[in-house]
Amino acid sequence: MDMLTQWLGWLPSLVPGLLVSLQLTGLSLLFGFPLGLLFAVMAAAKIAPLQWISFLFVEVGRGLPALVLLYLLYFSLPDAGITLTSLTTAVIALTWNTGAYASEYFRAGLAAVPLGQKEAALTSGLRGWTGFRVIILPQALRISTPPLAGLAVLVFQGSALAFVIAVPELMSKGFEIASITFEYLSVYLLTAVIYGSLTLLFLGFVQLLERRLGRHLQRN
Amino acid sequence: MSFSFGTKTPPIALSGEVVVSGLGKSYGATRVLSDVNLVMNEGEVVSVIGPSGAGKSTFLRCLNYLETPTEGTIEIGGARVVAGGKLPDKSSLDRLRRVTGMVFQSFNLFPHLTVMENITLPQRKVLGASKEQAHETANRLLKHVGLPDKANAYPARLSGGQQQRIAIARALALSPKVMLFDEPTSALDPEIGLEVLAVMRDLADEGMTMLVVTHEMHFARDVSDRIMVMGNGGVLEIGPSKQVMSEPQNERTRQFLKAVLDR
Amino acid sequence: MITELLPAIARGVGLTLYVTGASLVIGGVIGLVLVGAARSPFAIVRGIATLYINVVRVIPPITWLFLIYFGLPQFALRLSTIQAAIIGFSIIASAFMAEIYRSGLLSIPDGQREAAHALGLSAVTTVRHIITPQAFRVALPAIATYGIGLLKDSALASTIGVREITYYAQQSAKQTHEGLLSFVVAGALYIVISLVVALVSRQVDLGLRKKIGVA
Repeated sequence: MDMLTQWLGWLPSLVPGLLVSLQLTGLSLLFGFPLGLLFAVMAAAKIAPLQWISFLFVEVGRGLPALVLLYLLYFSLPDAGITLTSLTTAVIALTWNTGAYASEYFRAGLAAVPLGQKEAALTSGLRGWTGFRVIILPQALRISTPPLAGLAVLVFQGSALAFVIAVPELMSKGFEIASITFEYLSVYLLTAVIYGSLTLLFLGFVQLLERRLGRHLQRN
Repeated sequence: MSFSFGTKTPPIALSGEVVVSGLGKSYGATRVLSDVNLVMNEGEVVSVIGPSGAGKSTFLRCLNYLETPTEGTIEIGGARVVAGGKLPDKSSLDRLRRVTGMVFQSFNLFPHLTVMENITLPQRKVLGASKEQAHETANRLLKHVGLPDKANAYPARLSGGQQQRIAIARALALSPKVMLFDEPTSALDPEIGLEVLAVMRDLADEGMTMLVVTHEMHFARDVSDRIMVMGNGGVLEIGPSKQVMSEPQNERTRQFLKAVLDR
Repeated sequence: MITELLPAIARGVGLTLYVTGASLVIGGVIGLVLVGAARSPFAIVRGIATLYINVVRVIPPITWLFLIYFGLPQFALRLSTIQAAIIGFSIIASAFMAEIYRSGLLSIPDGQREAAHALGLSAVTTVRHIITPQAFRVALPAIATYGIGLLKDSALASTIGVREITYYAQQSAKQTHEGLLSFVVAGALYIVISLVVALVSRQVDLGLRKKIGVA
């Protein structure tokens, strides 16, 4: 019971950190998913320079550890004369990372739409962008949603990294408390519990989502 | 040549004899097998035919406990088991699996082992045979099924018919008293199936006791001694092959044969 | 500039590979135990295994590392940075590997077990000689992919002071003020190692496929 009271006492200090973590996650997803879609579309376009750019961004965004990406931007941006808050830097790094992984899921989603759909769209008079937007894209998105939701969970976990560039999120708040109280085990256990329970909650949502999305595929 | 069922002689099955009485199986409320009786003498070949869903495979698979029967008794080659919906004790189960050999519709060769290893591994692990003994047996059997030079090949490289013949060799390597065949040629093109049926025919001529679930009516009529017709989980009719094929007693048998032979 | 940075930062490659490799192997072994436990007939054993797998995967790696490196000393268990890193990553890897094995096992056709049963092979023999080799071959690509992911996660070890690639890149960035270049070099090192692993695993996989079509 002692630990529980400790934990309850620490929550008020940790909650602001959690909010920053969620903010970081949310922004990275908000910008990262569309970025990923953009990369996927660029890769599918038959224009070589676009494909090359998307390839580069995706391979770097995926191939580098998220931590390295974080440090990269953190150390290099000031030298280029761009001063941003650590939160902004973290958002950019995480967005890049997310976009790179998301682009692969979108590409798979786009490829998984049956070829017949594209042909049907063409023959129905829906050409080019409209056909893509109205017929292909929704189906691709539906297919990509489960892995993308899984990615969102990973982004939440990745937000913990922002700690190293002094973003005041959950891990850093935990570190603060720990350095004052020396209760390292207890504090980090609490942060683990907070991350774990939120992740489990979100994973539960994802499963529900998968089931609802799959409903139209079930035959009664 | 008729055999009476339910003979009250004490059931001590001789080497290659099969005595199955009152075999039944239910899945909860669904009955899949009811009161199946079969007595086979050593060296007999019995084909099991019937429409899909008749329970032929289920019956066969109960004999080596791939499926668990809920009632009845099984005696094969000295191994006796009383069915009761759960697995029998280990020694009875082992004995049952020792005296039976099974050949599957989908061959089920072990893909990560060579043909030789497929045939020697069971010998070494189940019979405790030495490497040399196992190799010798394997080579002999490979020659027997007509594939003496395939010892070091991997199953994926072989045709379906070749794989099935290897599967037969693998089962024979353990010297079973009774061979169980579960639709051995159903997954093969007709011409390829012939090479497998030829091996089975040789096996029958050599005196192996065989129980064959099949759709190959020619084999059933020409090679087996008796035919057992199943329908709806029960035995519709059983008798000498030629007789069952030309003068079936049971109405449903007649309908089935008509549908099958008219193709 | 790169010619000076590269050797300085590449000093970390050894520990990066060591931490990744050791964690993958240890995690792989623990994962085998886990997947066996998850299929155990005893509900308690199954429960513990499932709990372990689900708990480990929902906590961020960096939190695990901090928990082990900073938290365990309170139990008088003081570990070196490398030990803490390997233990942390092994635990994480074991949970993911257990899931990979599980998919591999599921993909093995029932017919394989039936044939083993019909031949009279014991359960132990079946698992050892028939099931495991096939499951492993099926799982190999997934294991390689996970290994590459673990390689990138290993960068986190720098946060508790392990002298691997990212650690040296940080040092170099602070000392030479060449932040961008330092981390570009570090990034390049990670990408090159990943590519090598990916290529090797692909060759192995293709070789296996040619020899034996997996059932």
